[in-house]
Parts: sequence; structure tokens; C-alpha cells
Amino acid sequence: MISAQGLFIAFFGLAAVCFGVAVFRTSSMVRSALALLFSQTAIGAMFLSMQAEFLGVLQIMMMATEMSIMAIFMVMFMMDPGGLGKMEMTHQKGLSLISGSIAFMAAVAVAVFVDWGPGGASPPDAARQTRELGIELLGRSMLIFETAGITILTAMIAATAVAIQPLKRSGDR
Amino acid sequence: MIAGARQGRLSGLRRLTALAMARDLRAFLVPGPEIARAHGLDIEAAGLLRVASPRHASVLLVVGAIPPALREAAAIVYAQMVRPRALFALGTQTLSPLPAADVGARLSQDELVEGVHRLRRAFAEGAFRPQVSSFDTPILHVRIQYTCPMHPEVIRDEPGTCPKCGMTLVPHETRAEGGSAHRHHHTMDSGTPGQAASEPGHSGHPGMDHAALVQYTCPMHPEVIRDEPGTCPKCGMTLVPHETRAEGGSVHRHHHHTMDSGTPGQAASEPGHSGHPGMDHSAMDHSAMDHGDGMFMSMVEVTRDLPRSIDGLAMDWIDVPFGPFFPGLPGGLQLMLTLDGDTVARSAAHAQRDMEPLLPAPDLDPVRFVSRLTEMDPLSPVSYRLLACRAMEDAAGAEVPDDIARGRVGALERERIASHLGWLALFAQQTGLGWLMGDAAGLQLHVRHADLKRLMGLRPALRTLTRRLRRTPLLKARTAGLGRLAPDPTLRGPVVRATGIGADARHTDSTCAMLGFTAITRTGGDALARLFVRVEEITHSLALIETAGVVERPEPADTGEASGAGEAVVETPRGEARLQLTLDKGRVSAARLGTPSMRHLELVGPLTEGQELGDALVAVGSLDLSPWGTGQ
Amino acid sequence: MTTLLVLLSLTVGVYLVAVLEAWTTNGHFRIAAPLCSALALLGRESIVPRKADRIFFEAAPILLLTSALLGAAVIPLAPALIVTDLATGALFLNAALAYVLVALLMAGWGPDGAYAMVGGWRFLGQVIAYAMLIVMPIMAVAMRAESLLTTEIVASQAGLWNILYQPLGFVLFFAAAMALAFVPPFDLPTAQGELAGGVEGEYTGVRLAVFRLGRMVLILTLAAATVTFYLGGWQGPLLPPWAWSAIKTLAVAATMLLAGRMMPRIREAHLLAWGWKLGIPLALLNIFLVGVLVLVLP
Repeated sequence: MISAQGLFIAFFGLAAVCFGVAVFRTSSMVRSALALLFSQTAIGAMFLSMQAEFLGVLQIMMMATEMSIMAIFMVMFMMDPGGLGKMEMTHQKGLSLISGSIAFMAAVAVAVFVDWGPGGASPPDAARQTRELGIELLGRSMLIFETAGITILTAMIAATAVAIQPLKRSGDR
Repeated sequence: MIAGARQGRLSGLRRLTALAMARDLRAFLVPGPEIARAHGLDIEAAGLLRVASPRHASVLLVVGAIPPALREAAAIVYAQMVRPRALFALGTQTLSPLPAADVGARLSQDELVEGVHRLRRAFAEGAFRPQVSSFDTPILHVRIQYTCPMHPEVIRDEPGTCPKCGMTLVPHETRAEGGSAHRHHHTMDSGTPGQAASEPGHSGHPGMDHAALVQYTCPMHPEVIRDEPGTCPKCGMTLVPHETRAEGGSVHRHHHHTMDSGTPGQAASEPGHSGHPGMDHSAMDHSAMDHGDGMFMSMVEVTRDLPRSIDGLAMDWIDVPFGPFFPGLPGGLQLMLTLDGDTVARSAAHAQRDMEPLLPAPDLDPVRFVSRLTEMDPLSPVSYRLLACRAMEDAAGAEVPDDIARGRVGALERERIASHLGWLALFAQQTGLGWLMGDAAGLQLHVRHADLKRLMGLRPALRTLTRRLRRTPLLKARTAGLGRLAPDPTLRGPVVRATGIGADARHTDSTCAMLGFTAITRTGGDALARLFVRVEEITHSLALIETAGVVERPEPADTGEASGAGEAVVETPRGEARLQLTLDKGRVSAARLGTPSMRHLELVGPLTEGQELGDALVAVGSLDLSPWGTGQ
Repeated sequence: MTTLLVLLSLTVGVYLVAVLEAWTTNGHFRIAAPLCSALALLGRESIVPRKADRIFFEAAPILLLTSALLGAAVIPLAPALIVTDLATGALFLNAALAYVLVALLMAGWGPDGAYAMVGGWRFLGQVIAYAMLIVMPIMAVAMRAESLLTTEIVASQAGLWNILYQPLGFVLFFAAAMALAFVPPFDLPTAQGELAGGVEGEYTGVRLAVFRLGRMVLILTLAAATVTFYLGGWQGPLLPPWAWSAIKTLAVAATMLLAGRMMPRIREAHLLAWGWKLGIPLALLNIFLVGVLVLVLP
């Protein structure tokens, strides 16, 4: 018997896959970026269905902003942002097919063959989850996350510094 | 009954809706709110709400007579309005190509209010009609023509290939007839490819000379090189002429689709949507395309030769018209900006052409000449009236008694106050300063025709406005450093006085000197300085009026049968205007006029290029251009 | 049942916010004005621009309304009057409001017009400026409450409202909330004077009504969020809790709308510069100060 939870997970999972496929089927850059956005939102909803509330909400929140920024970069750098030129958008088909298949098989293998430990009887409620997550982040895993955070910040600042062109005009700009 | 009714039967809920629409009238003003205020009309007091986009408007309010070019633009605006829509014309009957006005009235506040009542009744009864006709004029027609992206002079009526380079022609929308030249991004004076290629930053392939030996390559497979046009043996794409490999792709980045007309809201520009005029892949079978060679198409490589904007990014350039009825800009000013993202890459400004020449007949009655000049610029009629009177008196050698001279100065200064208040209201609309928009507009309407006592009574209100303006937070941030101009003696008015040069035509006027006139200057030459020059001039003009003691509209003196040449200058609110005329036995036989806006229009280009859009618009607005009367 | 009550109060609140906005823009305080305008708007044609991206054009107003409603779902109007008291309520509010950006991007790209497009991408720049300034003050608030539950956050202010406990955070959150709701002086995407309506300019009829409704709900949600996080929610003497919520929310909404009329529109470059160079250090300082206070005070 499929429980309501299972049904939700399946539905959102299917939605994520469909949106993901839409990313490559469309030629319009913005449609592609926003399809990816909604695919990630569906994954966030999957997390919510799996009762990982904090993770789900975080995923939904972050992906909205991130994918939108990706959208503008796609519009800036791609030749045909509107997708009306009917240009073939895919390249290196052979290579991508091979690497995609390998990655898929690897993911399935990891999901099936790794011992994830005993399944929890029922997950703790969301408030407790958040609390325990916080304690974990600032306790055992503090070094990892803080290092990651500083690294990302450094990367951001470095990227911005590299991208800024020296101002050629004086005056207010 | 209104001609632009929506289809449907007026029953039940629709009747209620029609009543709601009658109460909630939203008007789009043509040519602009500053013209309405200059005529003394208070639109909000009459019960109309003003909107910025024609799509949100239900009434197109035409104020005063407008020239044919603007009428065409107004027709396009009318077509953009959503039904039910009505046309309300004040003070004009000639509206073609617009349809006939649903409600007409004369240019007065009472008639406006009464007209609004009639409009409400018309909406309540006629918003929905079973049979409606659509509004169609030739100016709205779009014709699909096929052009080559590399050779814009090649235009065909059916699809095909370019005879010069073999590329597939792409569809391009143009006006069915006539239309202004600025519409077509590719309208170039000469049709030779060499010259087309050298237009800076325009077509993306600098220096390409088609007369020399050209080779053709496939943008996807740069190793394929042929000497004639054809198709690529690997993927079937049409080969493109090239100089470097990057060129092949970069050519097609610039899609030159333009917006259809000079009015806001028209959804004809395709900012990102087309982008690939030259590559017509629809005929190809992509499944056979083999990219197995692992070639990676580097975007950086492909866009190598594209023109870059000031921040180093090569983005699509789109032509966007800002005007002639853009909210925040003077009505009648046609500003065409080429946007590179949200930065202005290039700009071109035109003022609408005047309806009639300055001298409609070679031998003009002086009184008619004076009225002609008074009506020329609705934004500062008194200044030009004074200019005409002085020039005629100079030509005739007539002297003006002292008290009349003082009355004239009083009227001129009163108009200066009204004009600067009107500019403040426009500035407020542009930058979103709600309170200033209302206050300045209200004061302008009061000041326009106020007599001396009334003007003195308005002094506290004016003082409060200037004080509040100085204390507005973020005002300095909004305007400082924008539109910076170096000191340049050819500029005029507050624009030049803000750069530190105290040039003012009132220096030459003995009456003004007697009244204690001093030119107000500021340094900096930016929009902030210009704003405060105008604000301080309001205070100073009020003091001058008080000293003068009398405000009297200039009337032409009787020139009799005098003959001679004369010249006069007047400091209009926008700068010095100069009129040279010749009298022949008491009638005007020749005249030449120089207005400040003629000179200032040339500043628009340098001031806006490289600026962010909002900053560019503020810079243009700070010049206080008057598009009227610049065609002389 | 609670959902219905919340929706009812939302409707009344939205109506009053619309009246307030009409008052601040036109100067007339007319109770019937929004009803009249809404009816008139619905009676007009809804047209779609010629080359619009249909999916985006249609979806944008709906997404705007949806995200604002979802945000309102976690705001408590009274101790038991909340649609869903999520354990991560404060974070969920932020997540829902992040889709306002997506909606405006769609609205900008959809109509295929230059004004709308510039407005849409400008809003992205605006988001980069305010995004951190929304989240960090919320973090400081959650620190004091030691929970992300919005009801807990309100309860933690029983002794002293957060506006006094962390005034710096309040100022930052208020400004960022105004930027999120794109009210003047942060109305870069819908600038009347610069973009002739921007993202809103191409919408007509029903879609425009939904867009405007979404914006009103957004303003109301953000005002309610400010009240929840900083002004003690439903707490107050004499009057019942829902009355206090209502009064405070409307007061905050009125302040947001009035503040806009006092200042010219902010420049995008300045918004980004001040947001990052001034705002984020201040937000970090706020977190630090709140941390010290939480640890030191009993």
C-alpha cells in the first residue's frame, strides 16, 4: 500500500524529473533556467514530504534566488536568449550521453548498495530536528561548515574583484 | 456613446461595471501634464486619475493642438489603450489619424470639469456595446519584409537568400507606410556594405570589406572554409562570410528588430527573443548533425569582437524609444535610446517639428506676429511674447515707459516661477517624489495668473516648498554627479548658471538692474546644481516682482509705419532666447529665432551615453528642454 | 476554520492597504475606491502582447499572489489564529517571499517589451541588495526566541519588544521589507517615471487585477511579518489580540507607504552599494550584539 507520503514523494519526484527534462527541451534561456528552478523546488517539496522540514524549506529558498541569478547569466552570455532562432542548443551529444549514463548508474548503485543504517522509526518533529541540526552544525561539524562558508565567501569576493573592470572614466559611476 | 467601447451587452453586472468605470476614469495625457498645467488645467481636480502607461488608461486626453507627427504617435497610443476607451479633446478639433473625439471642450478648467461629467455619462451608458468596430489606421499597419542581417539594404517581400552573401533572409517588421526614420535600426544613408560595416558598434563586424576576397565558413565548424557561399558539408548550415572565426557567431548577436514607434508600452521590441536572424536552421535536419568531434563553442571566443559597454560585457543592444509621451520627460520630446542591458549605449533626441513656420506669410501684421510667438511655446508664452514686443520696438525704435517695463519684468518673473515649479513637478514625477509633484503642480496653477497681491500671498507656500525640498532625504544622492557639464559659454539659462558662469540676458536689461537683479550661480554643473539654481531663482524672482510692484502682461506697442531691423533677447525660464526681425512699413517681413532648447538638445547625447537608464533620464530631465519652437 | 478566518482577515487587510495606498498616492481617502477600481479593472479587456512568452506572462501575477499568500500562512494573527505553525516558520516566510523575485522576472521577460525587461532584471539587482538584509535580522530575532516558530518569536517578546531589544535589526528589516515589496523609494521594477510602469505596464484587465492584488497581499504580509518579528505580534493591553495585530499591521503598512512619498527613487548602484557595504556589516553587528545580550541577560 502506498502511503500518502509515498504518493507525495513520487509526485514531486516526477515533477522534478519533468521540469528537468524541460530544461533541455526548450530553446529559450529564461524558460530553461526557470524550469531548473522549479525542478529544484520540487526536490525541496520532496524533502518536505520526507519530513525533513528545515532542509526542504532551505532548498526552496536558496534555489529561487540562485536559479534566477543563473537566468540572467544565461541571458547575458548565450547568443539566442529567446530561443526563437531554432538553433540546435545541444553539443557534444556523445560525450554527454556516456557521462550521463555513468553518473546515473553510479547514483543508483550508491542508493541501492550503500548501507544507510537502520531506518528511523519515525523522524523527530520539525522543531527538534531544527534544534539538533543547529547543535550538529555548530558542534561536531563546525569546522567543515565554517571552512566551507569562508571558502565560498572568498570565492565570491575574488570573482567580483576579477570581474570588475577598472573604471576608465572619473566621476560618479 | 464612446467609439472605443468594449463588445458586450450592457446588462446586469456589466452595467455595474460601466458605472464603476465611469467613476474610475484614468487618463493618459497627450502631449503631457506640463502642457495641461501650462494651460491652467488641473486634471486631478476635475476628477481624472493620471496614469503612466496607456495600457492602464481609459481616456486619452488631448490638450491643445498638436502637430501631425505627435498625432500619429497619439494614434498609436490610442491603439494601445484597452477597451473601453474614450478620446477627450480639449481645445482642438483636428485629430486625424486619431478618431473623432468622444467628448470635446475648450481649454478651460470649467469646460474640463463639465467635459468630465459628460465623459462619465458616456461611460456609464456606452462602455459596452453589442457591435464594435476596431480602430485601424495605416500608421498601425506592420508589413513583413525580408532582409539580410549583414546587408540591410537588401529588402525583399518574400523569403529567399541574399544575393550578396547567400544568407537566408530573415523577416523584419516595418511600417506599412511612411513613419519616422528612427524606427528602422538599419536605415543608413548609403547602401554600400563597406560603409555599413564601419558604423561604430552597430552591426558587429567592424572593418569588413565585402569588396575584397571573402571566405565563407560554418559557425559551428570553423575548419570548413569555402570561397563561395553554400552549405556546410558537416551540418548543413548556410555558410557565413567571415574575417575571423569569432566573427561568424558574433554577427548574429545583434538582432536589429526595432520597436514600432516612439511611444511607451509598445511591445514590439524583442529584447532577447530573436537573436538569430541569420541562422536559419529550420530547413536542416539536426538529428544528422554530428558534434562528435568534441569541439566546444566558447562564448568568450564567439563574442570577442563585439562592441563592449563600459563594464566590459557584450550584451544585446536594443532600441527603445522614450517619448514622445513618456512620463517624466517633456511631452513632445522624442528620445531614442539604444540600451545595452540597462545602460545607455547611444542616444538621439529630436523635438517635434513645428507646425507652421515662424512667419506664415511674408508680410505679417505685428499683432498677429506677437500672437504667433505667444502660442509657439505653451510652456513659456509670456517670455516669447515679451521677446516679440521688444524686438519690434527695437526695430521701430520705440521707447517703452518705465512702469510698463517694470510690469513686463514682473510678468516675466512670474512666468519664471511658474515654469520652474512646473519643472519641479516633472522632476518629481520622474523620480517618484510624491509630495513634490502635488505641491509644485498646485502652486504652479496658482502662480500662473496671479496678480501681485496673490503672489505675495503665495510666498509662504513657496518658502515651505523650497525648505522642504532642501531637507528631502536622498535628493542629493539621486541627483549629485548626474549630467555633469563643463563650463561652456554657449549654454544658456539655469544649465549654464549651474556650471558657474553667470550668463543671464537680464544683465543687459536696465529695468532688471534697477530692480536689484543678480544672476544665481552654482558650481558643479550637475543635475543637483541645476535643481538648486532653479529653486533659488524662484525665491529671487519673487523678490524682483515685489520690488517691481506691478505685474502686467506684455502688449505690443504701436509701431505705426516704421521700418528697420531689430533684435532683442529675453531670458526665458530655460535660457536666453534671441529674436532678429525686420520691419517693413510696420509689418514684419523677416524673422529669425534662437531658443535655448535648440542648443541644449545637443547635450542629450554626451550626457546620457554610458549612464544607467534611470540616471540618464534624470540627466535629460534636468536640462529642462522645451521641445516646442525648436524647429526654427 | 482558522484558514477561513485568516483569509477573511487577509481580505479585509488587503482592502484597507489598498485604501491606504490610494490615499498616499492621490491624497483622497475614499473607502469605496478600491472596490470601484477593481470592478472597473475587471471590466476591461485583458490583452496579451503580440510576441509574449505566454507561460510567463500568465504565470507571473499568479505566482506573485501565491508566494505572498504562502508567506502570510505562517504569520500568527492571534495566539491560535495561524494557518500553519511550521517549526521553521520564520525561514518559510523567507522562502515563500523569494518567489516574488521569480514572479517579477517572469513578468519582466514575458511581455517581450523593453520596459518590462529592464524592470525585471533591475529587480534581480534589488534582490541581491536586500536578500541578506531580510535573512540576517530574522536570524537575530530567532536567536532571542531560540526557535523559528513564529508563535514562539512573538511569545519571546513578552517582556520587551524586539524593536527596542534590537533596533538596528528592525531598521534593516524594515528597509529590506520595503525593497522586497518594491514600494517607493525602492520601486525600481515598476518605476512610473523611468519605465512607464515597468513590469506592471503591459498587464491589463484580470491579470493586472491579480498582479495588483498580489502586491497588496505582499505589502500586508511584510507588514504583518514586521509586527510579528519586532513589534510583539498580538501583545497589548485592553484590546483583544487580533485587534492589536490589525492595528499594528496597518500602522506599519501605512508607514511603509508614506515613507515612499518622502524620498526620490533610489539609484540601483546606490542600493547595491549601501546594501552590501553598509547593510551587511550592520546586520552582522546586530547579530553579534543580540548574541551578547542573549548570553548576558538572564
